[in-house]
Amino acid sequence: MEKQLIISVGREYGSGGHEIAERLSKHYGIQLFDHNLLDEIAAEKHLDMRNLRGLDEKHRSRLASRTVRGYSSSPEENLYLLQFDYLKNKASSGESFVVVGRCSETILKECDSMISIFVLGDMDKKIERIMRLYQLSKDQAVWKIREKDMKRKRYHNDHCDGKWGDSRNYDLCINSSKLGIDGTVALLTEYIDKRHIQQ
Amino acid sequence: MLAQVFAVIIFIAMFVFIVTEIVERHIVSLVCALLTILFVFGIGMHSMTAVIETINLKSIITADFWYLSGESGESSAGINWETILFIFGMMVMVEGMARVGFFRWLCMRIAKLVKYQVIPLFITFMVLSTVLAMFIDSITVILFLAAVTIELSQLLKFNPVPMILSEIFCANLGGSATMCGDPPNIIIGTSLGYSFTDFVTNTGLIAGISLIAVLIYFYLLFRKELKAGAAEVIDYSSLPSPESTITDKKGFIISSMIFAVAIVLLVTHAQTGLTVSAIGVIVAAATLATSWKYAILLLKKVDYKTLLFFIGLFVVIGGLEQTGILEIMAAFIGKISGGNVMAMIAIIIWLSAIASAFVDNIPFATTMIPIIKSLSVTYGVDLSMLAWTLAMGTDIGGSATPIGASANVVGIATAAREGYMIKWGQYCRKMMPATVMVVLIAMLIIYVRYL
Repeated sequence: MEKQLIISVGREYGSGGHEIAERLSKHYGIQLFDHNLLDEIAAEKHLDMRNLRGLDEKHRSRLASRTVRGYSSSPEENLYLLQFDYLKNKASSGESFVVVGRCSETILKECDSMISIFVLGDMDKKIERIMRLYQLSKDQAVWKIREKDMKRKRYHNDHCDGKWGDSRNYDLCINSSKLGIDGTVALLTEYIDKRHIQQ
Repeated sequence: MLAQVFAVIIFIAMFVFIVTEIVERHIVSLVCALLTILFVFGIGMHSMTAVIETINLKSIITADFWYLSGESGESSAGINWETILFIFGMMVMVEGMARVGFFRWLCMRIAKLVKYQVIPLFITFMVLSTVLAMFIDSITVILFLAAVTIELSQLLKFNPVPMILSEIFCANLGGSATMCGDPPNIIIGTSLGYSFTDFVTNTGLIAGISLIAVLIYFYLLFRKELKAGAAEVIDYSSLPSPESTITDKKGFIISSMIFAVAIVLLVTHAQTGLTVSAIGVIVAAATLATSWKYAILLLKKVDYKTLLFFIGLFVVIGGLEQTGILEIMAAFIGKISGGNVMAMIAIIIWLSAIASAFVDNIPFATTMIPIIKSLSVTYGVDLSMLAWTLAMGTDIGGSATPIGASANVVGIATAAREGYMIKWGQYCRKMMPATVMVVLIAMLIIYVRYL
């Protein structure tokens, strides 16, 4: 790909946003950054992954951390900054990639080549998907969706001025329940292609 | 009664907001200061005199604020402008030193002196952290030391975390040794009228003995971890030379001279009569005059938020003091200790250490000063002994947890920004035993020496 293309995908839990991001990454032949972002950082800096796992996309505890002159003792906050720097460097080096979550729509806002998408879904469809994927009961699926979305929201809103899922923060918000995963990917690629040509 | 209720509510609210970090701490303390003036002094006490006494601006225009011809005296209640001016002056001087590369040069020079060998580097950096923190704020010490430690760890292939943890502990320990090392000490010194020499010969001695124990403790704890993976053959060409870290040679010489003068003035201030506020103004003026081209830049870099936080804090504590709340607290400590001095010391040192491990030690120390004054008067206990007890408890206790002291936060963040995450469990397992050990040493020395 000659011109740089960065696709930021925010998503509700159970909406299939991650799968959509994977498909987009395959379609455009560009790297996908999700949980593997930590592996990339750890490999580059020769770090022990065990130390980083468990902190990803977590909200910092106000009581268990302190901030002094802009420095924070919170590992979650510092991991966010580490990922922030990594993504910024990747973007400024001209690389194309798809990134899932991690406040990327805000972090990379200044990049002209960035297209930000938020994938949402109807609650019944999300429950159905989570029940199927993780062999859960309906109640368990509802609980898991609410818990995951609450964590994502807290993490996002703690680091960004704009609110998680607020359409004003994204170029495009799409309900994946209406067209299904395939239909959503098709629509998104059409949009991305048009945007990419315009750049 | 109403004024007391207001004072306590405002004080507790201030602590809660500081701990939860919902709003920046300087805004919290300034808003609480305003509320103290309105509700405690205004509605509760109807006393304009209390407001004037707490704002304490008149102290600046007295000769004693700048020069003491006789014995150093206790400062009046309210905003401790002496502390504010001194910290401001030191901040300007430190920014001037940082600009010319002084701290990086010092770290690299010492690393070169020990031939970049990991264990000697580990020991010397701990000593360097202690010595620097005796004169400079621990945040600056750790900011530079941790950054250089990470840089060297990448070149020499060792894990920087043990070294950074030891440096943090030693910075807090060094801060306890002198009057200017840690903000609680500056506040204790200026509020109770103690000199730099008083601190060095009392808390300094305790810190010196503790340093030996700390060096042994951290060496035994970390030696295997540091040796593991360390490069056996060092490529000296990849290491930055100390000279290359100096960004302005002329400025470097001048900054070093100003730093030396500051140390001399501090060490001799009891003899010369110059107060710490005068020393703060002298070093700031000298720094700004000699690097006038960068004066605005240096002034911009001063941490005004911390100074504003101090100002607000002094007013809120002034509210507690004026309404007699602190005397009630002192009476309570006196009651549970049964007037027994040993028990009183144990309560003060452990209470200070435990509180400082979880909350900012500056408001805690500021609150405790009138309390120890009251205890001294009521029970006839030597005030200086209680002051050293309070200083050691608040300064050392902060090392126990990641949030206990500013140096801990800055050290942890510096390591984390390179991917070395230091979590609560890992931090406390290594640092808490060292903290308990030093608090015990301090308590025993106080018992043996003063009782």
